[in-house]
Amino acid sequence: MDAALIPLLPLLVVGGTALLVIVLDLLPPRDRKGHLGVVALAGVVMALLVSLGLWGREGRAFRGMVVLDNFALFLDVVICYAAALVLLLSTDYLRRNDGERGEYYILVLLSTLGMVLMAAAADLIVIFLALELMSLSLYVLAGFFRGRLAAAEASMKYFLLGAFATGFFIYGIALIYGATGSTALDRIAAATRAGTRDPLLLVGLGLLLVGFGFKISSVPFHMWVPDVYEGAPTSVTAFIATGSKAAGFAALLRVLLSTFKVSQPDWTVLLWVVAVLTMTVGNVVAIAQSNLKRMLAYSSVAHVGYMLIGVVAGGALGAGSVLFYLLVYTFTTAGAFGVILLLERGRREAVDLDDYAGLAGRHPVLALTLALFLLSLIGMPPTAGFAGKFYLFGAAVRSGYIWLAVIAVLNSAVAAYYYLRVVVYMYMRDTEGLPTGPAPSFAGRLALAIALWGIFQLGLLPAPVLDLAQAAVAPLLR
Amino acid sequence: MNLVVFFVVAVVAVASALALVLRRNPIHGALFLVVNLGCVAVLYLLLSAEFLALAQVIIYAGAIMVLFVFAIMVLIPGKEETGPDPLRPQRLLALPLGAVLLLEIALILKSSVFQAAQPVAPPPALPAGAGGIETVGRLLLRDYLFPFEVTSVLLLAALVGVLALAKRKAG
Amino acid sequence: MSNTVWLIPLFPLLGTLLNALFGRWIGRHAHWIAVPALACSFLLSGAVFLRVWNGETFRGDLFPWIEAGTFRTAVTAQVDPLAAVMLLVVTGVGFLIHLYSAGYMHGDPGYARYFTYLNLFVFSMVMLVLAGNFLVLYVFWEAVGLCSYLLIGFWYTRKSAADAGKKAFIVNRVGDFGFGLGVMALWVALGTLDYGTVFDEVETLSPETATVIALLLFMGACGKSAQLPLHTWLPDAMEGPTPVSALIHAATMVTAGVYMVARTHALFERSGVALDVVAWVGGLTALFAATIGLAQTDIKRVLAYSTISQLGYMFAGVGVGAYAAGIFHLVTHAFFKALLFLGAGSVIHAQGGEQDLRKMGGLAPRMVLTTITFLVGAAGLAGLPPFAGFFSKDEILASTYHRGRLWLWALLLLGAFLTAVYIFRVVLLAFFGGPRMSKEVAHHLHESPPVMTLPLGALALLTAVAGVAVGMPSTQGTAFARFLSPVFPLSEEVGHGGLSAYALLVLSVIVAVVGLLFAWLLYGSRPIKVEAIGRPRNRLHALLLNKYYVDELYGFLFVRPLLRVAGFCARVFDLGFIDGIVNGLGQLVVGWARSMRRLQTGYVMNYALMTLLGAVVIVGFLLSR
Repeated sequence: MDAALIPLLPLLVVGGTALLVIVLDLLPPRDRKGHLGVVALAGVVMALLVSLGLWGREGRAFRGMVVLDNFALFLDVVICYAAALVLLLSTDYLRRNDGERGEYYILVLLSTLGMVLMAAAADLIVIFLALELMSLSLYVLAGFFRGRLAAAEASMKYFLLGAFATGFFIYGIALIYGATGSTALDRIAAATRAGTRDPLLLVGLGLLLVGFGFKISSVPFHMWVPDVYEGAPTSVTAFIATGSKAAGFAALLRVLLSTFKVSQPDWTVLLWVVAVLTMTVGNVVAIAQSNLKRMLAYSSVAHVGYMLIGVVAGGALGAGSVLFYLLVYTFTTAGAFGVILLLERGRREAVDLDDYAGLAGRHPVLALTLALFLLSLIGMPPTAGFAGKFYLFGAAVRSGYIWLAVIAVLNSAVAAYYYLRVVVYMYMRDTEGLPTGPAPSFAGRLALAIALWGIFQLGLLPAPVLDLAQAAVAPLLR
Repeated sequence: MNLVVFFVVAVVAVASALALVLRRNPIHGALFLVVNLGCVAVLYLLLSAEFLALAQVIIYAGAIMVLFVFAIMVLIPGKEETGPDPLRPQRLLALPLGAVLLLEIALILKSSVFQAAQPVAPPPALPAGAGGIETVGRLLLRDYLFPFEVTSVLLLAALVGVLALAKRKAG
Repeated sequence: MSNTVWLIPLFPLLGTLLNALFGRWIGRHAHWIAVPALACSFLLSGAVFLRVWNGETFRGDLFPWIEAGTFRTAVTAQVDPLAAVMLLVVTGVGFLIHLYSAGYMHGDPGYARYFTYLNLFVFSMVMLVLAGNFLVLYVFWEAVGLCSYLLIGFWYTRKSAADAGKKAFIVNRVGDFGFGLGVMALWVALGTLDYGTVFDEVETLSPETATVIALLLFMGACGKSAQLPLHTWLPDAMEGPTPVSALIHAATMVTAGVYMVARTHALFERSGVALDVVAWVGGLTALFAATIGLAQTDIKRVLAYSTISQLGYMFAGVGVGAYAAGIFHLVTHAFFKALLFLGAGSVIHAQGGEQDLRKMGGLAPRMVLTTITFLVGAAGLAGLPPFAGFFSKDEILASTYHRGRLWLWALLLLGAFLTAVYIFRVVLLAFFGGPRMSKEVAHHLHESPPVMTLPLGALALLTAVAGVAVGMPSTQGTAFARFLSPVFPLSEEVGHGGLSAYALLVLSVIVAVVGLLFAWLLYGSRPIKVEAIGRPRNRLHALLLNKYYVDELYGFLFVRPLLRVAGFCARVFDLGFIDGIVNGLGQLVVGWARSMRRLQTGYVMNYALMTLLGAVVIVGFLLSR
């Protein structure tokens, strides 16, 4: 293979698989599309392996618009895990909901392509295009169950608000271009280092933050989250919660840490406030939810707040903890949504807290699995959630943000309330919930098993992965 | 001469944008948008971006607006939106907020472009045909080849998405 | 060597995972995974043992584990002669018991679950033995406790089994509390948890500090090895399946305490006092448990008390500084006690689950193999030459005598006499005399299948030859002690030749034989009535039968007052005070949550307005700087 193409390898694998699935979709059989899911999964797994195999290599392609470094590769791994888990959960779910069509897999792959590209993009134009590629596919996926009103609403809201936020984002790019004459991240960095503090540049950054804030769903750009998470098909919800968030953080970290290093004092204060608001609003409102998908939506907002702590703390430890937490969060959240998805019966979604009453009696294994994921979301040892939070808060303390850490710990305590409430419902209530359904499919079980493995692997032996995460952010901090 | 044209067009552009927001009749709104887009195209021309101006007219003012108008005519039966506006209180907030944002941008431009000690990026003299189709094509297929290609993938995603949402159920 | 070492725990772990994940499909074929896994581990342990025999040792990190500030720990393994011996015992006896289980547990609905736990136990035990630092030791110390809990409560639908599991867990928690404190104290005192470093730097500790740490660690050992006063859980643990009793509650897990004390002997020696405490606790437990064993009527409970008593011997040996003798007794005990348990299991199996000695009798002609092997085991336990127990017990007795602990020696000697009495009481009541079971049970009596008798034979063989092979005393100590000499240096008075040593030997034999005869006089010489067994004949007998009322004492001293305090706390303090604050705060937050929730109107334009607001604030903020 041409050496110049090596930085594009993960992209090529995902994109090539998407094209292959498009072609295969045209071939018979017309009524069953499960095999497309297998092909898509194979592509994503392949991309995962390729990313692991490229670890430690560096390179650039297309005039430096795409970079290959450990940072991109680490996030590739996170994104591919998210995509793989979602694909595993999807096949059976689609069939049950009468929504098994080839476009689903194509869109998941194209959106994955956008995410992977976001992790590797080193030019604001490319970041923008990758963001759009990812988002556009997700807008459609959110409304994939056409018959459902909630799905159409979710799709529409996501699209409109996403477009609105993108407007800010691209305006920000324009201002930055105006201030520095370039969209390439390294040239912007060079210009900022040389020049004085240019308000144009700062405001451009601010508008970029609005766009990123929307993608990672930080307060006050989180308003779409509960409605979209609730209305979208649960598998897509899981993907939005994990993959798109990871991609958003990827671009955010790259832009903030490597390009706008000079303005660190400015954006640190800003993000400090955003982090506090995000976790507090997320956790507090989650308490008032009785719909599990909405509750997890707010909880995911809160977790973004935790991750922003790592960005504020900065340095190898802070940024490395963010990457580590992204991986933890991917396993945990994909797993939690996976259980919800597997409990759905026909058109009836098991999303009300009452549906979970006495679940431990009817589905002991699923109940235990969900309980473990919830414990990881709380941050109980020995699950991965504990290790992740430990490193994030530790990084904050070490960088001197004691109060931030204190607020975060208080927030975690508040969060325990609504997570444990679900556990209490599952184990200590005996009212009628949903009737016992058939056992989940092999793919679904496999997805849960992988996610469980993930939270225990990362919870019991966090150090090696944290080392990798810290190595991954090293290129940004040079 | 240029300055006169600029001011006339700019005033029309702002006025049509305001009208777009304020009119409650969607068809009127759409037509004001056409006017607005046309004005912006003229502004592009003034900046000697001929290709961009052309594309603006053909794609936005032409194709997309036609689609808008069709959609509005098909989907909205009456002339006007019916019922009271449920979001009246929001306007009270939206107006000042928009005004503040405008003020902020004005402040930036003032401090950054007009007050800067030295111009941040001195505008180079434009060569002949800088905004022409040839230059744009060269840029697109050489310097910006990668974004260009990504755009094609983006369009593919849009295509698949439209199919997914619009296709009748197989069989 | 490093790869081989890591493979030893890997196989049982794989077995656990396979049976846990696919148990539903594997079902009654679970032993095809679990047993070969153990066989592989055993073979690898053998290979490792041979290399250690040739003088190699191994120490290595699997991976860094926890890194937080200055605290760094890796998953470390180390193999020295002590670990090599333990590995052989754990995997060897473990393999035989796995094999036996395939027959004993045949047809149980939880077959795959059983083997999952059993494999998990072996994995944890192997890791405990391999551990190269205190943290890994602690983690797997807890892990074996967990497996023990799971397996005691294996038949969890039976209330007694579930209760016994809970009791074992809680009593162990008391000990582990001390153990955990000890590990922490060690970290505070020395700043490291690594074996090598700790033992090198132990001289820098003051004797008082060493005493505190050592006693805290010994608390854990007391819990795990069921020594006074934390012994009460082990007899109840007999609610678990019999092979589990053999593997966990006789041969391996309960000896972890002895292993730990021997492993950390440098610490105990630095303290001095702690070592004496170990010796006396061991000696007293040895006698105490043996007396209770005299009166029990449940065959497994007799064996359980016997285990407690024998563990006391090991602690006594270790406590007087005869580490090799203690470990040697650990090894031989693993053989003959596993054998006795498996033999008892065979009897119970044949009688359809009956464990009461009063309903046995006259089994010998119907179960020849079981009888013979059980006799071998009993002889080993009683210390009759030339069986293994004789050599190892005599080593301990001789060591205490030669080190001038005459009182301790007397205790142990009395215990040895009682041991012979209670074990031959079991033999006579179960296998000889007239049958006392119901007709129906008698009709179904049968010898166990080969898959169960094979391990019995193998263990009987080991009991018969292990002592002669490696335990012969000589002027250079036993072959076993010489092998362990890199870990436990051969001590001065080991060459205890001369008249006194032979006198001791003969005395041991005499004591054992007298005990045997005494048992025969009581239970074998004349036919006995069913009612006569286990009915309190006098105050002393009632005391023994009721296990000195220790359970009742604990109930009176700890459990009931604790429940009362807990009740008070729950009602007054918790409900009134804490809940008041918490509920108040909670309601505050919930109220806040409700009002915040109202912001979520569902209108896209409202959401967009929020975005605009955010943008204005952010831009304004950045402008102002």
